[in-house]
Amino acid sequence: MLEKIRHIFGEGKAVAFATYKEWSAYRTHSLVSAFVGPTYFIVQYFVWKAVYGDAAMIAGMSFEAMVRYYGASALIGYLTMDFADWNLQMLIRTGKFLTFVLRPINHRRFALEQKLGHRVLGLIFEFIPCLLILWLLFGVDMRPVYLGWTILSVAITFLMNFYVNYTLGMTAFFLVNAGGIRVVYQLFANVLSGALIPINFFPEAVRRIMMFLPFQYTNYIPAMVWTGGADIAGFGLSVPEAVMFQGIALVIMIGFSELLYRAAIRRFTAVGA
Amino acid sequence: MKLKVYLTCIKISIAQATAYRADFIMSTFITLLSNIFFPLVTIVIYANGLEFPGWTMWEVLALQSIFSLSRGIASMCLSSVMWATMDHVRGGSFETVLLKPISPLFYIMTTNFSVSQIGLVVGSAVVLTVSLINTGVSGVLGVLSAIVLFIGGILVAAGLFLIMAAISFIWVGNSRLDEISSSVSNFGNYPLQIFGQGLRIVMAFVIPAGMIGSLPAEVLLKGVEPLYFLGLIPCVLVLMFGVWIYNRMIKRYEGVGG
Repeated sequence: MLEKIRHIFGEGKAVAFATYKEWSAYRTHSLVSAFVGPTYFIVQYFVWKAVYGDAAMIAGMSFEAMVRYYGASALIGYLTMDFADWNLQMLIRTGKFLTFVLRPINHRRFALEQKLGHRVLGLIFEFIPCLLILWLLFGVDMRPVYLGWTILSVAITFLMNFYVNYTLGMTAFFLVNAGGIRVVYQLFANVLSGALIPINFFPEAVRRIMMFLPFQYTNYIPAMVWTGGADIAGFGLSVPEAVMFQGIALVIMIGFSELLYRAAIRRFTAVGA
Repeated sequence: MKLKVYLTCIKISIAQATAYRADFIMSTFITLLSNIFFPLVTIVIYANGLEFPGWTMWEVLALQSIFSLSRGIASMCLSSVMWATMDHVRGGSFETVLLKPISPLFYIMTTNFSVSQIGLVVGSAVVLTVSLINTGVSGVLGVLSAIVLFIGGILVAAGLFLIMAAISFIWVGNSRLDEISSSVSNFGNYPLQIFGQGLRIVMAFVIPAGMIGSLPAEVLLKGVEPLYFLGLIPCVLVLMFGVWIYNRMIKRYEGVGG
């Protein structure tokens, strides 16, 4: 057992490092975030400044909390960004997935390890520059209120994003070209993940439904945990409760992903390989 | 002559798109859907009893649909120029463009008309129409002025696409260049009054992103402000700079044997 864990750890380290080196060739591309992230942040800052006016609290959030929310949301995005869906769909459509079927390695684990390496690059070239810009240039206090819970929540988000996207990617086993599904998911995710507007602003019925969907666990919840939000999801969830819901959602997602993987892999025909 | 070539290429693009009808309908529908989702944020803000000071919900929706319409039209003509240039530079096949007996920029532009953006244009036009039914307009002069400023907005959006395409000659294979122009344009998606004085002046008269949505909407809905017409000068300059820098950057292209 210990030997197996050591093997998986060694394999993960090797794949992550190789991916890091591979994507390092395009490291300046990541630096686009140092311009784009703060630019969107400036717009959001003025939008909410105008909307708040003299109001102290709106939907349970102060203006300062809102500014920190958008900062945290952007930073978490750099740490957890994922395109496992695009990659898997490409491998299936071109038949290249066959090369993974023939290897003594589980592709999903391989993809997760790749993401780890890719996001280390994101940490260095996106997260840290943007954190410094928010902190030093805009004077936004981006220190997490509960450091431990924030790290746990971001780690769950990292995995949640991966499993959701990988599951979406698996639709290609059934549809071959599932690009449309990916785009439609992105559309819903943009609105329902809280990236554009915090979930607190949605009607109660919508917020209830969203507790059972994966979207808010990939952005809104970790951003609220980061900022130490008091009225998470608009139901008064505390930080530990929010992280617990996030953990439950992740376990369900992993289970669903596993079931779909077992059903999907039987349909792979390696066309084009 | 050039117009005739361009129109012929548009016809070919439409014919190509309709050859794959299902894909065309699907991508147009998705673009349309994304356009329906964006106003949702504005609707949610106003549904919570909040507002952008001095703007009703329908006025903001009109502004944002003008923004989408400008970007949609500019995208249809020029967004693919950026992607096509990027692909050619990365693949080392730009020589095939340079060998044509026609301006490289014009060739890329004519052969990369993006029909799928029609969804964005139609969706924006529908939201704009519905919004204007609810708001009314400031008068004939307001409508005519808004059309002039709207054209200015298209020029800015087009100029930004060209600048990004030009950058792709030296920042090879960076598929995130589009994000830069989108983030700058985003200032035009909200009433310029919400930004600080300095930023407002920059967005109206220096990098006139405000012309893409905010200023035409303000003139259309609230009356003519003669000062805004000064913003047309930088609009033309942005487009001219885009064309100039693109042609200039072609000289930096190094074939890699493609």
